[in-house]
Amino acid sequence: MTLVRVAPPLSQDVDLSKTYDAVIVGSGAAGGMAAHVLTSRGLKVLMLEAGKKLPIEQELRSMQWPYDHPRRGDAPPGSHHLSFNEYTIRKPPYAKGAAFKHVYSYVGGWSGSDYVKNILVDEKDHPYTGTNYAWVRARCLGGKTNIWGRLALRLSDYDFKAKSHDGYGEDWPISYADVEPYYDKVDLYLGISGVKENLPHLPDSQFQRPSKLNFGEVKLRQSLKKTGQVLTPYRAGVTTDGLKHNRYRSKCYGRGACDRRPGGCDIHAVFDSPTGLIYPAMDTGNLTVRPNSIAHEVLVDKNTGRARGVAFLDSATRKSYEAKAKVVILAASTLESARLLLLSRSPQHPNGLGNSSGHVGHNFCEHVMGPGVTGLIKELVGKPHTLDDGRPGGFYIPRFRNLKDRQPGFIRGYGYEGNSGHSMFPAHVMDTPGFGGPFKKAVRDHAGAFISMGAFGEVLPRYESHVDLDPAVKDAWGIPVLRFHYQFSDNERKMAEDMVATGREMLEAAGIEVVGTDDKVLTEGWSIHELGTARMGNDPKTSVLNQFQQSHDVPNLLVVDGSSHVSASCQNPTWTIMALAWRSCEHLADEFRKGNV
Amino acid sequence: MTVTRREMLATTAAALAAPLVTPGAAKAPQAASVAPKFFTAPEFALLDELSELIIPTDEHSPGARAAGVAAYIDGRMAESLEPDWQASWRAGLAAVDGLSRERHGKPFLEATPDQRVALLTELAAQDGFFRELKSWTVRGYYTSKIGIHVDQEYKGNVYQRGEFAGYDAT
Repeated sequence: MTLVRVAPPLSQDVDLSKTYDAVIVGSGAAGGMAAHVLTSRGLKVLMLEAGKKLPIEQELRSMQWPYDHPRRGDAPPGSHHLSFNEYTIRKPPYAKGAAFKHVYSYVGGWSGSDYVKNILVDEKDHPYTGTNYAWVRARCLGGKTNIWGRLALRLSDYDFKAKSHDGYGEDWPISYADVEPYYDKVDLYLGISGVKENLPHLPDSQFQRPSKLNFGEVKLRQSLKKTGQVLTPYRAGVTTDGLKHNRYRSKCYGRGACDRRPGGCDIHAVFDSPTGLIYPAMDTGNLTVRPNSIAHEVLVDKNTGRARGVAFLDSATRKSYEAKAKVVILAASTLESARLLLLSRSPQHPNGLGNSSGHVGHNFCEHVMGPGVTGLIKELVGKPHTLDDGRPGGFYIPRFRNLKDRQPGFIRGYGYEGNSGHSMFPAHVMDTPGFGGPFKKAVRDHAGAFISMGAFGEVLPRYESHVDLDPAVKDAWGIPVLRFHYQFSDNERKMAEDMVATGREMLEAAGIEVVGTDDKVLTEGWSIHELGTARMGNDPKTSVLNQFQQSHDVPNLLVVDGSSHVSASCQNPTWTIMALAWRSCEHLADEFRKGNV
Repeated sequence: MTVTRREMLATTAAALAAPLVTPGAAKAPQAASVAPKFFTAPEFALLDELSELIIPTDEHSPGARAAGVAAYIDGRMAESLEPDWQASWRAGLAAVDGLSRERHGKPFLEATPDQRVALLTELAAQDGFFRELKSWTVRGYYTSKIGIHVDQEYKGNVYQRGEFAGYDAT
């Protein structure tokens, strides 16, 4: 089968002498969405991306068989990925003194690391300091959306109004009703697959055709139903029916093997920012993209204190440039946007830009992960192998804790992501003891008979959980790096215990034998869901941004990425990041037309 | 392009017919037709036999020898920039022969099939080099054409039409 591929728009000449309506820093989910909304409203936009524009289909080679790759997908010799042990025993900067040519975050250790070696940053060039943190960064057009896990969930008022529910932290300055229309817009513009479940704590999306559950997953779903719990097919940010308005993306053909390497879909059925948002925005004629542009300061007008542009370095030539704009929009990721604000010190903004509250870099939160269970579905042992991974994900069990009940040990909740069935590589093989004929037969007979699930839990935002600038250490471009002051606390640890115990109960109740449990809480950062650091709020003394992600201090500065989130919820953040960016940029475009910005 | 199980079995019929079963097979290890890049010829022959003992040919599918596991490991060793890792494999293979001499007074490849299985069983209980050997044998085998298509009969990584596999949950 051949798919007609539309080539991305050609790279453009960038005119830095002119003043753009808006300059966007970052090209991931948030930056891409800002570009889409603003250019469709007629604003002239410049997007700065620190990384390269990669020939992404050649990088991903989604359907290459392992045996057609010289190292079966592994990165070349001299590349090293950080392990859980290294993240645990050592302190950042983790690549310091490493004998390897390249050092990558743990994602580079997944099978298929060769396909992401140009997507992930080299830790040698991008150090950070402070407490242990597994910081996964992708510097290239589209950022982490090129390899994301695809789970696309909505938040509810259990999240937006969490303080009203349990008294902890702060409520968001918005409610679900404010965001719902924008979730709908994101769904319809980008495509999402799933099944309606009518849950107040996990609102339904405007779904395209769902992927289906397999035998073990249906078994677990039916068992959970008896106690009022829900297992739903993976809500994937994937277009299963196709998108008539987007010529860069194909619908999903169930090719599967989506998880055998660190993600990536070379027909772009999975949402990624370049094909989903940026290329269509370029086609309007209103968007100019400049890759290889490392922003290091938001420039302010000496007289008014307002943002007037962005200073950046060209990563290839190391030359300095300034981009001028009427509005500056940060979308560099939760941690990089905070870093940029802290780097942008001036007489008017001595603590960093937009930081009169002292909250920039603080209230840092994310998801805790690691704990999970694996079960064996006896009915499937020795059965013919079926096609189970021809889909973008397995299943999701939404949060059930602290909705109506009150757990004694912890507040908030967690959900499970899981999977069952046959995959390209029999994942349980090293847990199968012995060798020889019986070993080989056992691997074959048991392949596809396992079901695994792992939890993602809400980490509470705490003022003391923060990042600041390291006074001494600089990155490869001479820019001060982030220093982490961040650790999980008792609430997360208690929650993690419950994740294992409850997972076990769920499988056992379904008549599935538990054959493995994972008690280990993975290093802070592992979920790649970092949030907070420039939170929204109504009070400029305790928050950085207003409800439209606009700086309280600098009205023509917006931060539209995950740093604006007030709390982490336990739902994966990408879809919420895009819904909020859409809402804020629509508001910005209205104000812009009225001459209020 | 998918290679069906039937096609794979046909192309590997020769591999199925010859090795392991006859005592003579070990004396003339057939996989080392191309000179190894890292291991010496005797080391390679030993590695080839060990991999086949871990994942042997059976009635369902060819084993590690037919899948070229030793050549795959040899290739990874040859391009490695980690001398410690390379040395640990040399030492590991030497220790297998050493144990064989200790127990039976002859190198591993000259031991009887039963003696070899007994030696590997002893090594498997120690969890040292055996775990590394098994790990790389498994990686080499289950990422090979034979491993994916013949043994596992994997059905994915193809464009599907219509709705995909699974049950309707609702």
